Amino acid sequence: MDSTLLSLSDNLAGAVARAGRAVVAVNARRRVSSTGVHWRPGVVVTADHTVRMEEEITITRPDGRPLPAALAGRDPGTDLAVLRVPDLDLPVAELGDTGSCKVGHIVLALGAGPSASWGVVSAVGGRWHTWRGGEVDRLVRLDLVLYPGFSGGPLVDIDGRVIGINTSGLSRVTPVAIPLATVSRVSDELLTRGRVARGYLGLALHPVRLPEALARAVGLATRTGLVVVNVEADGPAGKAGLLLGDVLVALDGNAVGETDDIQAALGSQRVGSTVRAHIIRAGMSSQVEITVGERPPRRR
Amino acid sequence: MHSSLAEGLAGLAERIRQITVRVHGRGSGHGSGVIWRPDGHIVTSAHVASRLATVVLSDDRAFETAVIACDPERDLAAIKVDAGPLPAAAIGDSDALRVGDMVFAVGHPFGGTGTLTAGIVHRVRRRDGPSDRRWVEADVHVAPGNSGGPLVDAHGRVIGINAMVAGGVALAVPSNVVERFLSDADARARLGGAGRPGVGHRRPA
Repeated sequence: MDSTLLSLSDNLAGAVARAGRAVVAVNARRRVSSTGVHWRPGVVVTADHTVRMEEEITITRPDGRPLPAALAGRDPGTDLAVLRVPDLDLPVAELGDTGSCKVGHIVLALGAGPSASWGVVSAVGGRWHTWRGGEVDRLVRLDLVLYPGFSGGPLVDIDGRVIGINTSGLSRVTPVAIPLATVSRVSDELLTRGRVARGYLGLALHPVRLPEALARAVGLATRTGLVVVNVEADGPAGKAGLLLGDVLVALDGNAVGETDDIQAALGSQRVGSTVRAHIIRAGMSSQVEITVGERPPRRR
Repeated sequence: MHSSLAEGLAGLAERIRQITVRVHGRGSGHGSGVIWRPDGHIVTSAHVASRLATVVLSDDRAFETAVIACDPERDLAAIKVDAGPLPAAAIGDSDALRVGDMVFAVGHPFGGTGTLTAGIVHRVRRRDGPSDRRWVEADVHVAPGNSGGPLVDAHGRVIGINAMVAGGVALAVPSNVVERFLSDADARARLGGAGRPGVGHRRPA
């Protein structure tokens, strides 16, 4: 029999066995449990969208024993939630390197049990912003099946090392993996503060194309801006005097042509600081200083 | 290294193709089957063939034949063709499968020529004892015409008979269950086709 095929098969089974020791079921919603990864002693990371209740959460160990878990924090933006499970005496996940992940690498997605699916990394890319407003350090798209309950489980390389957390909650097209750098950053913030702070202006914005004459008149290099379609009266921009119909064209001198540009400019470190907003109002260019607020938690 | 993986897969596909047959059940449907023994014993799904069937071998020889044993609960049926010695499947131990082991399904979806799909063992459910109701659960694409066809491991050994898809997971009847089904069928044949499970004693031969 062919030895290359046999060793590939052995490697895959070995990778499941190795990584599966740190994989638990997370029971935080009705019906289908989701999956969690023992990230560091007593801390389990899972996908936020699978956590539908904030109390009476349990995890189930690979041997079937349940343990109570407490929600330490959740970040819908990156679809990550962190649970504290003080009595969890399982090995923690052995981490690989998401950065070395290339298109075409054979990978496994693990669910509790363990159960597994296999496939390849189908695309990698740079930093991106999720539709839920979070910032993810690296794009890792997967060509594999994320079975029901697999969200929150690990993406595992052929050596059995965890290289990301899988979720179906951030893309309708393909499953993606949240890279280790993002999991590390977000879980640290959730463990210390219970939430991930995000900058907030209190505006609803929509991209618009500016007439060429107007762009020239106000001395703009670009021809796109963001028109204000809603202003929260008590929000940071509302207090700074922004009005419905103003067109935002730059923040701190950086052009903004789409709403992603705003999210990129307003990371957690900007909360409490001042940004200079360049706006066009009634055909006139002007500058407004806004003190960045913190986005209020989503109502559930 | 890379060419040997590709060659290995191609060789495996060719070997499985030879032990896979097309099955057209009378009044049921079409699917696939596995040559289980060189004497012409073929295993398929009960939902593919329950009474009469046409079997087409990989060399295109066709046989009209009766189903000699059928177990709708385990979704298994056995057929016998008189075609001389045939290339038979190597049978694997379905109880030894591990999650992540590679598996390959060969069959005749859409009535066409043999297709190969590759995947892995999706889950192994632990039970205290052997149970006829256990499945081999696989993360592999299968279509209706795969029913009755082989699921094989990286050694090329048959470890299951593809039966259905549930929640996107391919379910196959484990090879060990197939072996029990065939030995039950043999025992019934020796008893003169009584067709009922025994109660622990046998008529002297």
